[in-house]
Amino acid sequence: MAVSLPGWAQPAGAFENVIIHTADGEVIDGGTIVWRNGIIRSVGAEEEVAIPFDAYVRDGGDSLHVYPGFIDGMAFWGSPDDNGPGGTPDEPGNPGYERAGIQPQRYPSEHLKSNDQALEKAAEMGFTAAVLGLEGRMLPGQVDLFFVKGNQTPDNLLERGLGVLAQFSEARGSVYPSTTMALMAQFRQLFYDAKAQHQQQEYFASVSSNYPAPTNEKVLEALYPVMELEQPFFFVADSKENIERMLWLQEEFGFDVILVSGKEAYKTAEELRRRDIPVLAGIDLPEKPDWMSADGEENNENDEEGGEEKDRNTKQQEVTEEMQHFRERQQKAYEERINNIKSLRESGVRVGYGSNGLKISDIRKNLLVLKEEAGMMEPQLLNMLTQSTADILGYGQRLGDVKEGRLANFTVFDNPFTEEKAKGLFSVSNGEVTELESKTSN
Amino acid sequence: MRKFLKFFIPGFLLVVLVVTAGVAQITEKAEFGKFAITNATIHTVSDGVIENGVVLINGETIEFVGKNAKITSGYQRINAAGNHLYPGFMDAGTQLGLQEIGAVAVTKDQAELGEFNPHVRAFTAINPSSVSIPVTRVNGVTHVVSLPVSGRLSGKATLIDLYGYSPDSMAVSSNAALHLNWPTSRAGGRRSEDEVEKVYKKNLKELNEFWDRAVFYDDMMRSYEEGSADKKRPDTHKKLEAMREILGGNIPVMISVDHKRDILNAIEWTRKHPDVQFILAGVQEGWRVAEEIAEAGLPCLVSTLYTPERAYDNYQRPYQNPAKLHEAGVKVAIATGEIENVRNAPYHAGYAAAYGLGREEAVKAITLNAAEIFGIADRLGSIEKGKQANLFLSDGDPFEPTTHIEQVFIRGYKIPMVSRHSQLYEEYLNRGAVENEGH
Amino acid sequence: MKKIVLLFFALLLSLGGYAQEKGSVLITGGTVMTITDGNKENTDLLIEDGIITEIGRDLSAPGGVEIIDASGKYVMPGIIDAHSHIAAVDVNEWTHPVTAEVTMEESIDPNDINMYWALAGGVTSIHLMHGSANVIGGQNETLKLRYGGDMDALRFDGAPRTIKFALGENPTRVHGQRFNVQPRTRMGVEQVVRDHFDAALDYRRNRREYLEAREAYKEGAREEAPVPVAKNARMEVLVDILEGEIRVHCHSYRADEIMMLMRVFDDYDIEDYTFQHANEAFKIAPELRKNSAYTSVFSDWWAYKFEVYYSTAFNASILNASGVINSINSDSGELIRHLNHEAAKTVHYGDTSKQDALRMITINPAMQLGIDEKVGSIEEGKHGDVAIWSGHPLSIYSLAEATFVDGKKYFDRDEDADDMRLEVNPADDFEHADRRWYEEHGRRGGTCLRGAEIRFNEQEMQFRYQTN
Repeated sequence: MAVSLPGWAQPAGAFENVIIHTADGEVIDGGTIVWRNGIIRSVGAEEEVAIPFDAYVRDGGDSLHVYPGFIDGMAFWGSPDDNGPGGTPDEPGNPGYERAGIQPQRYPSEHLKSNDQALEKAAEMGFTAAVLGLEGRMLPGQVDLFFVKGNQTPDNLLERGLGVLAQFSEARGSVYPSTTMALMAQFRQLFYDAKAQHQQQEYFASVSSNYPAPTNEKVLEALYPVMELEQPFFFVADSKENIERMLWLQEEFGFDVILVSGKEAYKTAEELRRRDIPVLAGIDLPEKPDWMSADGEENNENDEEGGEEKDRNTKQQEVTEEMQHFRERQQKAYEERINNIKSLRESGVRVGYGSNGLKISDIRKNLLVLKEEAGMMEPQLLNMLTQSTADILGYGQRLGDVKEGRLANFTVFDNPFTEEKAKGLFSVSNGEVTELESKTSN
Repeated sequence: MRKFLKFFIPGFLLVVLVVTAGVAQITEKAEFGKFAITNATIHTVSDGVIENGVVLINGETIEFVGKNAKITSGYQRINAAGNHLYPGFMDAGTQLGLQEIGAVAVTKDQAELGEFNPHVRAFTAINPSSVSIPVTRVNGVTHVVSLPVSGRLSGKATLIDLYGYSPDSMAVSSNAALHLNWPTSRAGGRRSEDEVEKVYKKNLKELNEFWDRAVFYDDMMRSYEEGSADKKRPDTHKKLEAMREILGGNIPVMISVDHKRDILNAIEWTRKHPDVQFILAGVQEGWRVAEEIAEAGLPCLVSTLYTPERAYDNYQRPYQNPAKLHEAGVKVAIATGEIENVRNAPYHAGYAAAYGLGREEAVKAITLNAAEIFGIADRLGSIEKGKQANLFLSDGDPFEPTTHIEQVFIRGYKIPMVSRHSQLYEEYLNRGAVENEGH
Repeated sequence: MKKIVLLFFALLLSLGGYAQEKGSVLITGGTVMTITDGNKENTDLLIEDGIITEIGRDLSAPGGVEIIDASGKYVMPGIIDAHSHIAAVDVNEWTHPVTAEVTMEESIDPNDINMYWALAGGVTSIHLMHGSANVIGGQNETLKLRYGGDMDALRFDGAPRTIKFALGENPTRVHGQRFNVQPRTRMGVEQVVRDHFDAALDYRRNRREYLEAREAYKEGAREEAPVPVAKNARMEVLVDILEGEIRVHCHSYRADEIMMLMRVFDDYDIEDYTFQHANEAFKIAPELRKNSAYTSVFSDWWAYKFEVYYSTAFNASILNASGVINSINSDSGELIRHLNHEAAKTVHYGDTSKQDALRMITINPAMQLGIDEKVGSIEEGKHGDVAIWSGHPLSIYSLAEATFVDGKKYFDRDEDADDMRLEVNPADDFEHADRRWYEEHGRRGGTCLRGAEIRFNEQEMQFRYQTN
């Protein structure tokens, strides 16, 4: 907004003459959307929606697009860098929880930096809500759900402790756990220790004397909700084998889990569906091999960026039979990987979106690959970024769509959001409007 | 590779090492004189196989090779019935004598500091008392090329035989070749292709600059040497001086290069130096560019017991590499790159034989070819009258790991068939029952 | 050619996820090297549904069973490598002197091409071992090379659990010298083992008492609430060792340290153990024999570090002659390709008989891994893990022509295609390759200390190298 009047909130707001895209693929041309007190009051064609007298109205001129606010199911915007204590501890094999990267008691809401540019850029990209986590190792902390509002984001917590972030990420440097197998063992030991502490706390509480005081280790306490199925793990895993390892742990300890990133999740789709494990899929897709963009056999239309490469490659080497075979397999692997999300959806796995550290500036590029090479339709992409992610987070009735009764979270773009030139103009998060262009232009 | 280990070797261990190193030395002396080896199947390499043949050795030299010889009483007779006689095997690329214990840095002399060291000489650092030397020779390997390995120009490799009390007595060619580690342009590790390309160009530029300077120096010195007395003598530069025998074509450059693209780059580079002799070493992807190597006329030093270069390579490629090079017309010799296990050189050749090279060519690859490549075939590499007596007797095909080597001759010396390994065997086999236990 | 490649891939890929497929085949007319019952010439071998059902003459194939003519060839049990680190993600959790809780079972890389290359050398099973940086390292996993299968499919069902111990330079170097944590000496190594065994015995008692008390308290049979003793992953494994449920495979070199561990094991009643590498085992062959200890050694590796300087390639022959059950292992992605010739060297060094040489890569390692009831020889009722060789497998001119696991063919020289990778990373470079030829040998990569060495190289150690 050009003018801000502190202390006074508009009673209601509206956009009219906009093209409204709903999460289930419906498109309303010449639509109107009205919200009040952070809740969407009505959405529909112009003639169906009455704009209240006290609504501040913006006119979309029949060319602006309204999309439900995108939700990032697992982002690290605003997180301090993972640069905790380094060096070699006295006993590398007993480094202590923090040094080992075991910090499930940390809440992002207590650590986020408001000055992270990513928070601004996220809104420009169309994100109005996000699950934020802290950078770290094996158990970097809890994950909290925020409204995305630029540098105001850290003050706009929607829910604390949506889950506990977990990943197969070894401790930094020469410290236990330094291998995948030790991470597995460490997960187990944490469960064992949490269980014992919990038990002792219960015994202690149940008797009035003659019983030793339990430890009250916060790291272990933070795992109780996971053990009691009150909180899921947000588990980052990419390779088929790591996903299988995660499944082994789940089988052993019976926790709820949401798979994050899951680059090779398609290889375990059957089992994910059977266990009803949703995926907050990353879109950090592999780089297209140079020769694929240069060759242009299959991808003539996409030749602009490949042009320079082409010269160099063709000059350098003729394509031998061996190289041809290598390329065929490489291409197949590439296609499998970019089709991950599509395959998962086709197998009946619930798929939402989680950037898991992907740079915001790389999002659109990858969405374009999904659309143009993996054949995902724009509505499918939209659904993944909105309703589907909201459902996985348990916010399916509040976030994820532009519908009456939902939280007023949406973004106004000047073009369809998958187009390269698309730009966010207004971000509405929890009913509050941010005019984006003025911010990007400075 | 294991250089870092030196950090861990405590001083006291080294003291122990130095003090005990002499214990397992050979006590039996080599014999020298006149020997008559009879009834052997002689694999001359240069002139076919002679059944039930005779070889006479007189001093350092092979005096006679053939079927019927009059053996006078001055000859010590060795009845080799049922045995095979081969020329001593030569491993054309090793670090034998330059390192005693891999993880003990102070025993490692193959890697001098600096990028351009044409003046450093492996010959200087050969330890004639290395325990690995007897261990190697009793397996029939009588000669090795030992090379320095660090930097771009690592230094001069030396060609030695494996009997003697000083490097001087062992040296066949004290400066056998200059070792060049070809700068790679292949992708590897986590470096991006552009980075690799950049580093390659930089490395190549440095090499060319050094080379150009050496050429300038050589020209300048020749001009001075040929010129009139009024020219002032230019200052000597050790490194550039050491390049002169290379530039003059007297000593070859041994280029370590494995990857296809690197091989092609190296070939192109050698073409710019027509007066210099070149040998390729390693050449693990030689099979990919065998025709090009053959066309360039470069001999190759190769091994077989390694895993394929690329994950998508056929499993047999390392075994087939010598055969594929040979088929294209490349002269190949065996070079294991080993140190304490140069004794396995015959098995490298055996794999080459089994995977396409054939026995006869494989025997050449570990004898005469190596001698030819290093310009010593007039003295070594085959069983011929007048050549130096480097031979061994075996009870079967020496490429077979089940075969035993019965007797080795080096430079005419009848070598005691003992080593640290056999001595420990003698000492501990049937050592006796469990000793009394006391706590 | 290409068709074959694609067909073969379709076959391999179809295996993914299906655990442990079995096959049937009749191999006729070969010299069957039973290992336990001599060589049988012109003999047929019938494998049905993964199991050897008949060995004899003129066998007929049940309907649909493939017949392979092996006349003039040798049929040998699949080679078993008692010490391998191929098909591993990480090899060494090297940060603590005792990491019994970790297991290579959870560190399998089912896509490693080295498995296929090993199959091409007639190998059918490997003992995937943890590294040697720790006195008590992680648990190992015995695998069958069912290449194309996933992590589960590679497991050798019913193989006993095993664990890695390590003595001497590696643990003292990593912990004592580098971290300033015991052990710094071979004296310390002994105490680390004893301390942990004692702690495990205490843990077992305390944990059991707690579990009993908890039940009693729950049922009202006890008034005082018990103080919980948490389950401890590391201690559980140590208890299992003490209870004989896990076999120890101990990386060791020097005779004195081997004697030390045998004394410790005697004190704690631990049996069924194997000394790995054991370069100086020959010095104490009678003592090993007396304790029924097994050894698994290199054919000829030595001098790569101080503790293997006084060793001999005659080690295996001395051990064998002394009645110690010995195997020849690879510890290397290169040596595993020709373990038959590594075994053949025992004939060269010390005149071991060819039969005994073959035992060292078949039934002997099977005994050491506790799988000798299932594999390691060709006997009716055993698994159909065999390889067909073009000639006597100890000859350098013999090639493995086909390799079967559970009667299913995983390698066939006639159908062998170039690119046998299972997993393709789209980011892989066509030209990717590393190494210099003279740095090539197996020992310099893929060995015991790999996990630790990689980290040393990549991190502080480079710095230390430069400053020393």
